[in-house]
Amino acid sequence: MLKIFQRLWQVNWAEQWQYRANLLMYLFYWLVSPIIYLAVWTSIANSKGSVNGFTANDFITYYMTLLIVDQITSNIVIHTFAYKIQDGTLSNELIRPIHPMLTNALVNNIAFKMLTIMGLVPIWIVLALLFKPDFASVTWQGILLAIPAMILGFFIGFLLSAAITSVAFWTTRVYSIHEFYYALILLFSGQFVPLTLMPQLIQNIAHYLPFQLFMYFPIQVILGKLSTTQIMQGYVVAGVWLVLSITFFRWVWRNGVKQFSAVGA
Amino acid sequence: MYYLKLLNTFLKVNIQMSLAYRADTIVNILLNIMWLGWELLGLSIIFGNTTSLGGWGYGELITLLGVFRLVNTFMIALIWPNTEKFNQSIRDGSMDYTILQPVNSMFLVTFSRISVWRIWDLVLAVVLIVTGINISGDITTPISILTFLLLTVSGTIVLYSLWIVLIALTFWFTKFDNNVTILQALLDSGRYPVTVYPVWLRIIVTFIIPIALATTVPLQALRGDLNLLRVLMFLGISTVSFLIASRIWKAGLKKYSGASS
Repeated sequence: MLKIFQRLWQVNWAEQWQYRANLLMYLFYWLVSPIIYLAVWTSIANSKGSVNGFTANDFITYYMTLLIVDQITSNIVIHTFAYKIQDGTLSNELIRPIHPMLTNALVNNIAFKMLTIMGLVPIWIVLALLFKPDFASVTWQGILLAIPAMILGFFIGFLLSAAITSVAFWTTRVYSIHEFYYALILLFSGQFVPLTLMPQLIQNIAHYLPFQLFMYFPIQVILGKLSTTQIMQGYVVAGVWLVLSITFFRWVWRNGVKQFSAVGA
Repeated sequence: MYYLKLLNTFLKVNIQMSLAYRADTIVNILLNIMWLGWELLGLSIIFGNTTSLGGWGYGELITLLGVFRLVNTFMIALIWPNTEKFNQSIRDGSMDYTILQPVNSMFLVTFSRISVWRIWDLVLAVVLIVTGINISGDITTPISILTFLLLTVSGTIVLYSLWIVLIALTFWFTKFDNNVTILQALLDSGRYPVTVYPVWLRIIVTFIIPIALATTVPLQALRGDLNLLRVLMFLGISTVSFLIASRIWKAGLKKYSGASS
């Protein structure tokens, strides 16, 4: 099994490397909105001194950390997999003795991620010089505690996206469904604004949803903003969602493959 | 007149094409309403924490959202679909047929694809603009409304000219099919007044990729922040940029040599 993963890694890395110019464009595209949010909230914090206890520097460190965390926890499975179901090329992968989603697609996503992170590092440094974040509250313990949280966040996100992508077995409108799912992420993950500044109702809901595990939770752990009990609670929620997303994905996948009948002769 | 007739034909063709995808249209409209809800929620979250953003109030940001959606609709309904078609035609050489027509090629390249159902989005944008003005309580005069409209159009022309330049570059660099990504990516900055951005970003979205000219500037005119000299300057910029763009387009056409052997 290890050998299979190793080989898949080589193939997928080479494949992603071909598209490095597109990858940079994607990275650039993706960077803009966090920077806009950063600018908006810093400008408010500067004009008022602070927003609900958040100073300008708190916003800058939050979004600068978000750039990294989001790159680690996010995935592009909808863009790399849904079309294979639609045009029938998935049948080649289905006859292999390994799970198409949990091996090939997973490795492909990680290869993509590695490349974008490599591209992000220099950009991040330039942004850090421009915005001058003060990371005084970050400790090694915080970063170490956040690493498993980010890995969990990635796997939960990947499984949920994979389940939504598998809806393509039934309908061609899977991209619209994914767009709706993306709006939920935007609302509940803390991408637009640190969740504590959201209306109370949204905050209460967000704490039990998986989306905050993609951004808000790991960021706050890194920045040392959470107490030990809050971190433990976060991990419990993450554990529960990991189990739920595994079950959900397996169920959608199993029924979807039964439904699948490839296009073409 | 001839061009109006052509435009009419393009509209008819595009309506027929979109009628084939009725269910998709409905889904798209629903998604669009969802994003509008999200945008309004975002604004109310911002203004739940502050009373002004870069010196602008809640109502003014709603108006700005309307103006942004106006420009954005222009891009989504016209510019992006035609970019896709254009890049394709450079790659497979079907640009030949466009050039052979006895019509201005820039006109053909701009209008041959239209996402017709987006028209309702324009109505929505106007509703947002009017509602925003009412909430903000800004005093509008016929002159301020006129300059607002003029500057929205002239700002859009500047963006359009930039687009022409970007796609014309494809004549020289055939592989440059990421030509509009930079424009697409930065467009979102138009949702907020440029005054909230740090200086370097303000310079980019004002002078290099001048999104602000089509979003922030018209609203400044509506608020009466601009004197006559500035207004004339912006109108001048849009005329000059359009002239430069059509020059570059013509030069690019000369460079074009088809895709076949």
